[in-house]
Amino acid sequence: MSDSRLTRLADVLVGYSGRVKTGELVLLEAPVVVEPLLSEMYRAVLEAGAQPVTRIGLDLADVLLTEGNDDQVAWVNPARREDIERADVRIVIEAATNTKAMTSVDPARQALVERSRSELRDRYLERALSGELRWVLSAYPTNASAQDAEMSLSEYEDFIYGAAFLDNGDPVARWQEFGEGLRAKADFLAGKQELRIVAEDTDLTMTVAGRQWIAADGHENFPDGEVFTAPLETSAEGEIRFTFPAVFRGRQVDDVRLRFHGGEVVEATATHGQDFLHEMIAVDEGARRIGEFAFGLNEAVDVFTRNILFDEKIGGTVHLALGTAYPECGGTNRSALHWDMICDLRSGSEIYADGELIYKDGRFLNGS
Amino acid sequence: MRDPRVDRLGELIVSYSLGLAPGHILRVDVPPVAAPLATALYRAALAAGAHPYANVEPEQLSEILVTKGNDDQLEFLSPIAAAEIEFVHAIVTIWAEENTRALTRVPPDRHQRLIASSRKLVKRRWERIAAGELSWCGVVFPTNAHAQDAEMSLEEYEHFVFRACHVEGAEDPVAHWNAVRDDLRRRADALSEAREIRILGPDTDLRLGVEDRLWQPADGRHNMPDGEVYTSPLETVTEGDIRFTFPALFRGREVEDIRLRFEDGKVVGAEAARGLEFLEALLDVDEGARRLGEVAFGLNYEIDRFTNNTLFDEKIGGTMHVALGSSFEELGGENTSALHWDLVCDLREDGEVYADGELVWRAGHFLEQPEPARV
Repeated sequence: MSDSRLTRLADVLVGYSGRVKTGELVLLEAPVVVEPLLSEMYRAVLEAGAQPVTRIGLDLADVLLTEGNDDQVAWVNPARREDIERADVRIVIEAATNTKAMTSVDPARQALVERSRSELRDRYLERALSGELRWVLSAYPTNASAQDAEMSLSEYEDFIYGAAFLDNGDPVARWQEFGEGLRAKADFLAGKQELRIVAEDTDLTMTVAGRQWIAADGHENFPDGEVFTAPLETSAEGEIRFTFPAVFRGRQVDDVRLRFHGGEVVEATATHGQDFLHEMIAVDEGARRIGEFAFGLNEAVDVFTRNILFDEKIGGTVHLALGTAYPECGGTNRSALHWDMICDLRSGSEIYADGELIYKDGRFLNGS
Repeated sequence: MRDPRVDRLGELIVSYSLGLAPGHILRVDVPPVAAPLATALYRAALAAGAHPYANVEPEQLSEILVTKGNDDQLEFLSPIAAAEIEFVHAIVTIWAEENTRALTRVPPDRHQRLIASSRKLVKRRWERIAAGELSWCGVVFPTNAHAQDAEMSLEEYEHFVFRACHVEGAEDPVAHWNAVRDDLRRRADALSEAREIRILGPDTDLRLGVEDRLWQPADGRHNMPDGEVYTSPLETVTEGDIRFTFPALFRGREVEDIRLRFEDGKVVGAEAARGLEFLEALLDVDEGARRLGEVAFGLNYEIDRFTNNTLFDEKIGGTMHVALGSSFEELGGENTSALHWDLVCDLREDGEVYADGELVWRAGHFLEQPEPARV
């Protein structure tokens, strides 16, 4: 039986998030398990008068990383360069069939993948910044992701579609309204110079003066719900402890604690996966600095599911990303890495802006 | 669980069919149902030092495009695909359908448009193959849909397909196909000397002119399984009658028990027990549709039965096939047509083939020594 929410999801992704217009070339990227949603998106793109092209992959990353040589692992497919150059809109759907398939892979090889891929990411971010390319990242529910979230598949589907407001009669209107609220927060934060986050084992300050705060309202990520910026590269000072496991490319690192000095990580510990953490922050110069700081503001995302697309939007959390910054925020840090780590602030926490308490126990104090 | 036959098939295609070298880029075009073979090809290509990638093509997207797309969308040629055809060194096309009749009800003109949209890419592919810049192999991966057409269980059909590819048992498939290559090359060279081919069989006595036409071995480089030698006959010489005992298929439609009469190379009489109207429509597609573009010997004796799939049927050991329509330019053929329809003639019971009056083939096998004509 087809799920009508899938049809609605496709329509929102193509019409609202991607803003697909007649004659545009729309690249649909997904692993093969996404077929049902892919068919719906393909239809929606055709109905918009645009041209769908697909880049559908098999789950071969673990074969490449275990059987390929370094040249093969680092190889950048010229077809992917064409994808990034030619597309007017790029809709990427993530879906896992086994989120732990890469666990036994040598972290050094994964670092090699990150480094070689950064060329493609830099180029699409560049085209996005100049307005030549719009991109959307979304997720498709599978048993593997449901298992990570400790839910049944149907519970997990309800969770995702709920977070995407697809149960609402008019999801687009709901997203527009939600976006207004996010923009109000971004405007409020735009006048601030310095942020200080205080929670258990956490006291971190960073400067955000002159940087843009962006309301993420369902265009580049879907579902969505955060406001984010890029702090000054040399400003972070102090300590932070991430209560949620930090997950990157299928690898989980537990109880990460970072100490910053002069904007740089000077100490990194974890109770599990510390080697992987060290390997990743050594990928390049920029991997030790903060590229993003953000507030998660989607209250329909209320549990940790081990999927960063959702977790970073949990209402009442903040996250920071080690590595590359979004240039539209004014950030200048560049790295092959962009690793979001989430800090739950829903109890016993405070955030100060320029010395004034603005956020307590997961909520802003300025009325919203 | 990994099927060792699928792994062997992947290795065979990478090393024998494609001859993939380190640094080469291989694209595997694959419907989702054939993921195991794509994975095997990916592994084998990595082991060969190449750069493989899979390009998954879900079957139902074509259906959505044909039914919902406007003319522009249907005829669109992706600039990405056009770029890919220039830089890949090898392509494997995996044919594996989940429903061989999914497009049966689609309006034929829209289906035609969809096929036409890829013609430019196909043409460019063959240009690069001819220039030695690109290798290509089409291979079947067994599915229930194909098994159903063949009236077999999936397990029986897998056995049939893998045996025809010689990856079923303990033998070395590459050694087998190397031997096939030599054998077919010898046959093709001998046939290239002939001026006339005469086919005798039940209700069949057909003479074809092949003077100065090149016979080509189909030895597993472009198709797997494979096994035929073929040429394009002279366009205005074919004379006589031929009866095709196997059903003839075109785009999922069947015509049964076709009988054709040729004069001066042209079909002048056509009969069929079923589907005559469709047969006549195809003969009227254009000028070239009434002339032969191909004549060939099927020489894969592991393919021992009709399975409703031309890729296999035309290679049944002991059969011959002719194709109405377009011929092979590189073999000297001059017939052009939008049609290329292979029709298979079973000669295993009491067929005889003469080359310039000498008996060269009897009851489905080439003779070691040609015999003088008895007639």
